Amino acid sequence: MQRRSFFVAALATTFLTTPAFAADVPAGVTLAEDQSFTYRILDEFSSFDPQIVEDTYGSDIVRDLFEGLYNQDADGNIVPGVALSHEASADNLTYTFTLRDNAVWSDGTPVTAGDFVYAWQRAVDPELASPYAWYMELMAIENGAAIVAGEMEPSELGVSAPDDRTLVVNLSKPLPYFTKMVTHATTFPSPKWVIEEHGAQWTRPENMVSNGAFVLEEHVPKERSVRVRNENYWDNENTVLEKVTTLVIGDDAQGLTRWRAGEVDMTDIPAGQYPALAEEFPDEAFALPRLCNYYFNFNLASGPEAFQDVRVRQALALAVDREVIVERVLQGGQFPAFNFTPAATADFEMPDIEMASMTQAERDEKARELLAEAGYGEGGEPLSFKYLYNTNEAHQQVAIVATQMWKQKLGIDVTLENQEWKVFLETRSAQNYDMARGAWCGDYNEASTFLDLLTTESGYNDAKFSNARVDELMAEAKSSSDPQPLYTEVEQIVAAEMPVIPIYHYSTNVMLSDAIQGWPMNNVEQNWYSKDLYRVAD
Amino acid sequence: MFNYTLRRLLMVLPTLLILVIFAFYLMRLAPGGPFTSERPLPPAVMANVLERYGMDEPLHVQLWTYVSNILCCFDFGPSFSQKDRTVNDVIAQGFPVTLTYGFWSAVFVLVLGIPLGIIAALRHNGFWDYTMTGLAIFSQIFPNFVLAPLLVLLFTLSWGLLPGGGWNGGQWEYVVMPAIALGTSYMASVARLTRGSMLEVLNSPYIRTARAKGLPERTIIIRHALKPALLPTLTYMGPVFVYMITGSVFVDVFFSTGGIGQDFINGAYSRDYAILLGLAILYAVLTFALTLMVDLLYAWIDPKVRAGLS
Repeated sequence: MQRRSFFVAALATTFLTTPAFAADVPAGVTLAEDQSFTYRILDEFSSFDPQIVEDTYGSDIVRDLFEGLYNQDADGNIVPGVALSHEASADNLTYTFTLRDNAVWSDGTPVTAGDFVYAWQRAVDPELASPYAWYMELMAIENGAAIVAGEMEPSELGVSAPDDRTLVVNLSKPLPYFTKMVTHATTFPSPKWVIEEHGAQWTRPENMVSNGAFVLEEHVPKERSVRVRNENYWDNENTVLEKVTTLVIGDDAQGLTRWRAGEVDMTDIPAGQYPALAEEFPDEAFALPRLCNYYFNFNLASGPEAFQDVRVRQALALAVDREVIVERVLQGGQFPAFNFTPAATADFEMPDIEMASMTQAERDEKARELLAEAGYGEGGEPLSFKYLYNTNEAHQQVAIVATQMWKQKLGIDVTLENQEWKVFLETRSAQNYDMARGAWCGDYNEASTFLDLLTTESGYNDAKFSNARVDELMAEAKSSSDPQPLYTEVEQIVAAEMPVIPIYHYSTNVMLSDAIQGWPMNNVEQNWYSKDLYRVAD
Repeated sequence: MFNYTLRRLLMVLPTLLILVIFAFYLMRLAPGGPFTSERPLPPAVMANVLERYGMDEPLHVQLWTYVSNILCCFDFGPSFSQKDRTVNDVIAQGFPVTLTYGFWSAVFVLVLGIPLGIIAALRHNGFWDYTMTGLAIFSQIFPNFVLAPLLVLLFTLSWGLLPGGGWNGGQWEYVVMPAIALGTSYMASVARLTRGSMLEVLNSPYIRTARAKGLPERTIIIRHALKPALLPTLTYMGPVFVYMITGSVFVDVFFSTGGIGQDFINGAYSRDYAILLGLAILYAVLTFALTLMVDLLYAWIDPKVRAGLS
């Protein structure tokens, strides 16, 4: 039995009335003659191949070059891409997507459901060995995990194309947020005939065939890549930009200098410079909320004995003055955090957490009480431990300030220790630390991308927190039509148990020239599409 | 001389082999690997990735495969971090960039440094000497990470004369600042070295003899003093030239040239073993070639050395 979801009906109307998924130039705006956009990235991205790309910079480019089933609009909601609508079966285990009939590849070949089947099978194929094969597992596509493990053939993946316009996906569990996940690069179609002809060289500008609003024109690794309007794109007439250039500039300060010189339209703001730049360029310096959190992990597996006492963990969490860290140290529009999931996450209601409603003086008072009860700190057993972070100026500043707060308020001695990134990752995942920095950016815009990290089985649960109720709730959330109450309970358990200390939720600080309009400021995943942008005349 | 060259060339292969073995194991000692990431890969995915890059084999097997692939097919393997490209691709794209600005930088160093040194020596303790020495010391206290931002501040932001970075296929506007930033402190060293050795040569008995013979000063300087006076500079320039044409990490990152200097540091951070080994070999081969060239030049300039070789 099939039921047409509300979402499908909503989509159909969106598609028929206002195509709000292309550059939306208000009346009266004079467009610039030169419709180009140049932005800066920090370092070379991993790949142009949708099934292989694994970094944000690469994904931004791949989203321009290829188009998946759905895109995101300026607020991060899903809007039609190659797919116009979908139907979910009653048990939410089967999704049937209807594809548009006017989508074509840049070589003129029509985009078919078979191109998606090929791409998805490719993503899990052990022969391609994509590091992002896990994303297909996360999407719970039937047999995905078994294929990655080499136990089944890629052709047995739960995805099929009964005809060119219909894509059927079978899931192994009913994920309520499944349709949000198909905006991710890993799920984009890929051109079988081109890949078979050119092999690994298929992503070279001279070979590449893509189905997005732009095509790759030039790529000089570590220097620039240029993409230009795809004349064959189905919505080409609504694309305004002619040319998008990505420049690799490995130095933040130099990125800013070149932004000032007008060589780039957009660059990240160097750490700590947001307040000054916001004053100098009020219309061009932005602090945008981002779907990431920042926290301290307690090593509950092999850390100091004192960390086994929840009162000690609570005391440490209470004594950190997040306002000071956010307002005085980072100064980039971050949000003080008392819970794990960022408030900006879609459909997420912030849970009531006692600590959040207290004043800092009350928190400090309570921290001292709890620590004394536990028998540590002033008058009790002295407490000292090491705090580990990866070498970076901002992390260092946060570490210094937080540990000074513990020292002054609670008399706890903390030694700071920093390590180079990969060394840090190894040390932390092997639990060779007392307390360590942690941070996470959502893979998709839904609370489980964060809260799953706190389940026993999670590969990123570096605190080694294990709570049967949390595991149960998160498993239940995977098939619940209204997971919010479950998430609230998980957050409350986490606030009570405090396996990690939430510090703040991220913001992105960028300089964006006011000539460039259409940027999705409210998309917390910062998934942007060049086809939505345009350049206005001076 | 031919025998000498041949002997030197024969030494290259075993030395390179030792270097490869040493670098290979040393890199693997560093914690973390190319696929260590914030989100740990699920074991099955990791197994596939390791197999794809042949990293599931024991280390000595990997080393053997690596070396034999190079010897058989000049194949330095795929890059771990730039997944669409091989090490050959990366070097083929980046090396011409560093070679270009490194070469112009070396030209800048020699064309400016040597005359500055000679003039200073000829006007020993005079106004020009002090000016040149002052200038040289002044340039030497400007390491490239101080000079480069200064150049950009002046030429890009204030005067708008040159682009603040990039390469754009190596147009001259993009080469000027990297070449100057890279070369300035070497230029100062070359000027001071040349001045020192020129002074020494000018005070040697055979120059006094030449003067006593009544040769014109011009002939003395150019025909008799210059060649021996350049020997220390030549020794100095050999390794410096290798350093210049393989690019400076700082200049590459700061000016975003896309050269291979950047790959050294990115390769180290991302544990891209293939890139690091490939670059180590390139660096070693260039060092061999350049030192051999310097030695041969030495022999050509200095008859004493030539006699010693044969």
